[in-house]
Amino acid sequence: MNIAVCVCHVPDTASVIGVVDGERDFSRVYEVMNPYDEYALEEAVRLREHFAPGEVTVFSVASVSTKEMVRKALAMGADRAILVDHTVVADPYQTAFALSRAISVFYGDTLPEVVFCGKQSTDFQSAQVPPMLAELLGIGAVTGICSLGVSTEGLQVEREIEGGSEFFDLHYPVLLSAEKGLNMPRKTSIKSVMEARKKNIDSFSISLDVPPYVVMAGLKPLDRKKRCQFLSDEKELIKILREKHKLF
Amino acid sequence: MNKYLVFLEQREGIVKAASIELWNTLQQLAAVHEDITVCGLVAGAVDLHQLRCTLAGKGVLYYTSDHQFTLYNSARYARLVVDIVKQESCCALFFADTVLSRELAPKLSIRMKAAMLSGVPVFDAAGVDSGTVRTVYSGSFMASFFFECPLRIYTISSLPIISMIPSRAQIDYIPLHPLSTDTDEELFPLLRRMIMREGRRDVAEAGIIIAGGRGVGGADGFALLEQLALLLGGVVGASRPAVDEGWRPQSEQIGQTGKTVNPTLYLACGISGSVQHIAGIGSSTVVVAINNDSNAPIFDVADYGIVGDLRRVLPELLGALQNIFREQ
Repeated sequence: MNIAVCVCHVPDTASVIGVVDGERDFSRVYEVMNPYDEYALEEAVRLREHFAPGEVTVFSVASVSTKEMVRKALAMGADRAILVDHTVVADPYQTAFALSRAISVFYGDTLPEVVFCGKQSTDFQSAQVPPMLAELLGIGAVTGICSLGVSTEGLQVEREIEGGSEFFDLHYPVLLSAEKGLNMPRKTSIKSVMEARKKNIDSFSISLDVPPYVVMAGLKPLDRKKRCQFLSDEKELIKILREKHKLF
Repeated sequence: MNKYLVFLEQREGIVKAASIELWNTLQQLAAVHEDITVCGLVAGAVDLHQLRCTLAGKGVLYYTSDHQFTLYNSARYARLVVDIVKQESCCALFFADTVLSRELAPKLSIRMKAAMLSGVPVFDAAGVDSGTVRTVYSGSFMASFFFECPLRIYTISSLPIISMIPSRAQIDYIPLHPLSTDTDEELFPLLRRMIMREGRRDVAEAGIIIAGGRGVGGADGFALLEQLALLLGGVVGASRPAVDEGWRPQSEQIGQTGKTVNPTLYLACGISGSVQHIAGIGSSTVVVAINNDSNAPIFDVADYGIVGDLRRVLPELLGALQNIFREQ
């Protein structure tokens, strides 16, 4: 089974994004693989192990620092990686477009059985790229899966919805995006990191000849601090919630 | 003329409260701006009586009772939406921000070449139309956007609760005739079944959330939070450590790798308040924190705080509330 996994990098959640002259200051930001992409990659590697032979290929819309992250993906068990060269992607549409082109070029007429993505990136949290990519590739998608089962009839996946769960039967090819809890991503070992050095990282140059749908116009830092009023006990709290906020 | 289409999401024949809230909010906007009209679409058989009792304003609402729309099916739903957008020449398409819309709307964005924003508040606190901004980077920045396409799609989160009087509503309910099935649909993922947990609302839809973190101490410690939630008509939520420890299910996690919530009351019990957690509670109206560490960052984003041991404060709070409700 051939599987494509799309990964991106995001600021490590512990990093502080500064603001200098109204612009984002990334100088103190350490970038890591998007946590949701780790679940996607882990599931892809497990599936390949189950349905050998086949290859897991990682795709990432690249910038210079992406290479290090892609090395980690290879150490986690991916077989090879494609860095999708670009000048700049402005929105989820352009990202999905670049990925769809790269996947089509790499696989030719036979799409991989499964395309995995993380549910969303933790920085912008739009969750738009996976369904957009599926639509551009002309395949079906189930987003935010929390469980994947293999039976003689094929793959079954489950996802949580508000107040319940949905269960899907799948046909190949299909795009799946991973929710937290799908699995426990493996830790890389020294051995796996060494082995990853022998794996191929190729660069694809994709011409981004489509304009973006949405362009970010500006960013301003938010101060979310509130002035906390400390209360002596629960009676005071109940009184305020009842009388001032009329909650019950 | 600006025509807005609202997709009203149903599960088991009941239209989601968030969708109804969205319809009513847009109706309020249309009441002020003469150039805006609102129309709606429900896919799948629903209780029309529920809609007549809750939907305010005026306009056309299309619905289909056809069984092939009872369960969510992305290909069929997408085709239906595209048809109505074309037929009505809509300039904007609105969804409540849910698991369904996060999957369906980006597909529609590609299919209709429409600019899309996810998780947007339509109105800011002052009631100003702010449909082009949203928070990014764990809620630490507000980003504004330009749309490069005439058609826009939004998934809308954190709506203010407004009350309109449905009795004065002038809505035409128009049934849609069954559409032909597309053979290609058989190649797409098929929703085989759906299980709804009875009587349990999701944290993302709850008005009152009693959330617990590492300070709760263990799965057993959540029993008190459950009782509090039951008493106040709320639900239990959890921080990432409580979920990672296996004390609570993933579906209750609030924060960056969990859900974003917007309750009227958020009670944080034994939650220190990491940046990632705070990212998920940003739109709560009243935040109350109970923590034994007076320096916990959660107090920086709380309206009220009690510094104390949960094992003492929670039983007292529960007892005092029980007395009040008994008196009522």
